[in-house]
Amino acid sequence: MPKHFNRNKQQSWSNDRSNDRDRRVSLKTHNNKYDRKPQGQNRDWSNAIRSHLEEEDVDMGFSAGSSRNLKFNRKGKGPVRGRQGSPPPQNGRRKLLEGPSNWYKISLPHGDKFDKTFIIKTLLDKMAPLPFWPIAWQVFGTTITFYVDDFKVAQKLNNLDRQIQLPNGFKLFIRVYSGTPNVDMTPALKEKMKVVMAKRYNSMTKALDLTKFHADPDLQDSFCALFKPVVFLAVIDIISENIPDLEALNLHDNKIQILNFLKNIPKKVPNLKILHVGHNKIRDIAQLDCLQGLPIIDLKLDGNPMCDKYKDKPTYISEVRKRFPKCMKLDGIDLPPPISFDIQEEHHLPPPQQTFLCNADGGSIVRLFLEQYFQIYDTENRQPLLQAYHEQALFSLTMQYPYGYSKETKGVPWLNWYATDNRNLLRVSDPDRRSKLLKQGHLSVVSFLQEMPQTKHDIHSFAVDLNVFTPQMLCLTVAGMFKELKSGHKTPPLRYFFRTLVIVPAGSGFCISNEVLHISNATPDQAKEAFKTTVNVVGSPAPPQAVATSPGPGVPIPAAVAVFDDATKQEMVKLMSAQSGMNLEWSLKCLEETQWDFQRALLTFQSLNAQGVVPAEAFIK
Amino acid sequence: MNDTKSRIDQACRVAEDFTKLYYDTLDKRRHIINKLYLETGVLSWNGNGVIGSKKIVKFLMDLPGTDHTITTLDSQPILDSAVNGQTTLMIQVTGTVKYQDKSPKTFQQNFIVTAQGDKWKTVSDCFRLQEPLTPKN
Repeated sequence: MPKHFNRNKQQSWSNDRSNDRDRRVSLKTHNNKYDRKPQGQNRDWSNAIRSHLEEEDVDMGFSAGSSRNLKFNRKGKGPVRGRQGSPPPQNGRRKLLEGPSNWYKISLPHGDKFDKTFIIKTLLDKMAPLPFWPIAWQVFGTTITFYVDDFKVAQKLNNLDRQIQLPNGFKLFIRVYSGTPNVDMTPALKEKMKVVMAKRYNSMTKALDLTKFHADPDLQDSFCALFKPVVFLAVIDIISENIPDLEALNLHDNKIQILNFLKNIPKKVPNLKILHVGHNKIRDIAQLDCLQGLPIIDLKLDGNPMCDKYKDKPTYISEVRKRFPKCMKLDGIDLPPPISFDIQEEHHLPPPQQTFLCNADGGSIVRLFLEQYFQIYDTENRQPLLQAYHEQALFSLTMQYPYGYSKETKGVPWLNWYATDNRNLLRVSDPDRRSKLLKQGHLSVVSFLQEMPQTKHDIHSFAVDLNVFTPQMLCLTVAGMFKELKSGHKTPPLRYFFRTLVIVPAGSGFCISNEVLHISNATPDQAKEAFKTTVNVVGSPAPPQAVATSPGPGVPIPAAVAVFDDATKQEMVKLMSAQSGMNLEWSLKCLEETQWDFQRALLTFQSLNAQGVVPAEAFIK
Repeated sequence: MNDTKSRIDQACRVAEDFTKLYYDTLDKRRHIINKLYLETGVLSWNGNGVIGSKKIVKFLMDLPGTDHTITTLDSQPILDSAVNGQTTLMIQVTGTVKYQDKSPKTFQQNFIVTAQGDKWKTVSDCFRLQEPLTPKN
């Protein structure tokens, strides 16, 4: 029996199946692909067979008592063992041709009468020195079937037909055909593959060795060959579900012919740097196109028919680099670094910043304004916002699905509610309609806000840009995510909004004179970032109290404007004290240290208190 | 009331002309885009603030080549009380932008545009890509 693979070796792809590998190497008379003759010898089956026959005859000369002379009747003269009983009709023996898939189905009629171990042992003895490794052993009625992955082995088995004397006096029939079975990818098989892959994965090096996957002892019962797309796809699924940070993948010796059925590989294994697909049956480098975008630095392709296509090495390297520009090692040989141009083709976008304030003084006002606004906005009753809008305020709305996630995309929550009021000037050209869709006056604005679906905003996801901050006017853009509640969707949709507010002073506070709101869906990438902060700031009772303490009716946001005067500071200290349980002195300290940023002060307190580092004296009133 | 209606009409028409010109200039003749900004104009590009039209053009020149497609457009006249009677509009755009032929990204953008003499100039330009704020890596 072939050795079980030793998977303990780390680092490089272990060469542990040396027996196996040696055999393969000896089959290939020429290892250096650049020296090969241009004629496609592989395609010329008859030549190939002839050369194998000659090779085999020489081999057989060393193995005593073999039945080499029986193989082909044109050579079939001379003494023959085992012919005495019932001489097999030599003329009837079929010639076995090397098939394109290089897989062979073997069937043993009446093989069921004997124990599997016995048959394997018998065949192993007769096959020596060739290794024998039956795959997907099955019994159908009285017939045993299995598969082998090597032409020489198949040929030898073909030659052993009716040559082996069985204990019951009969000779063993061996039928050999070229071909493979259909693979049914059942959950059970996938689970089995997963276990084998886990065994072959090295978490230290993030390397997965799938060399000759189908011949793994734990998969021997199934036909689990990677050249079958259904099997390969299952492998990719398992990788992307379990080890998406994979960096090295070895697919050596799997008879892989095509890869162009693969999709989104760079997304599924974004970190794959080392890929060995040597000794497969890939005929064209274009099969690797679907892998473009992977950060490959080390690639092995030798032993594939495609390598024979290149007359010279530079062409070969350039074809590889075209697809994998960062490749520095090809077929085990270091490549010279590529020469590039001084003008960079790759521009990088500046990384996004969460907040831009054209004037630092505006920060705390903006923050308080937003907290108070959305505190009210996220309740069932938005009527109090009436005071936040200028009597002649204007409001309009647009909506659009984000690129790549249109209404037709599966799982995308529809934005139908917003369609009626979508004031997209590219679609609405009638001036009357344009005017009608613009909500004019604070009553009209707030009654529309009241109609809009209920929401819960993730204030920590907000991106805030304060572009104008003058005594007459503020221009503030807020973008972020919210959950839409009670709007008839099965799960509350996660929406994205982008709204710009023009804010003007009014009385002792501020109010909104213009607002444009854009509603979209959060993209899956955005959704991952939504509602991540667990500290319940928005839900804390602080902002309503702040509103409550604001003097009189008028504007609901006066706390914001009053941040800088002493009376408000005193209010804030009291509020802080009430919120935190600390005394006034410590509350003042906390606020001063956070530059009178109430939310930050409260957050700082909460986090320090959670760590237990706030001294007890802070709570003595 | 008629006055309001005509100002709304004007805001819509200017928005159509402005955005056409703006994205055409940004995509093809970016070096002269400063002419569309007030000298003291402010750009916030994905939270990166740039103040002054000269700095804005420099900032935009450093970005990769772009190809914008607009999908929605909205516009309003800004109330007089905010701008002391100087005709000023707010324009909000959403669409997709391709950087160097890479796959399109969704963006939203808001302009405050004011009439300075007989020319429209951008006071404020706020641009955001619809992407997570903390991308991986």
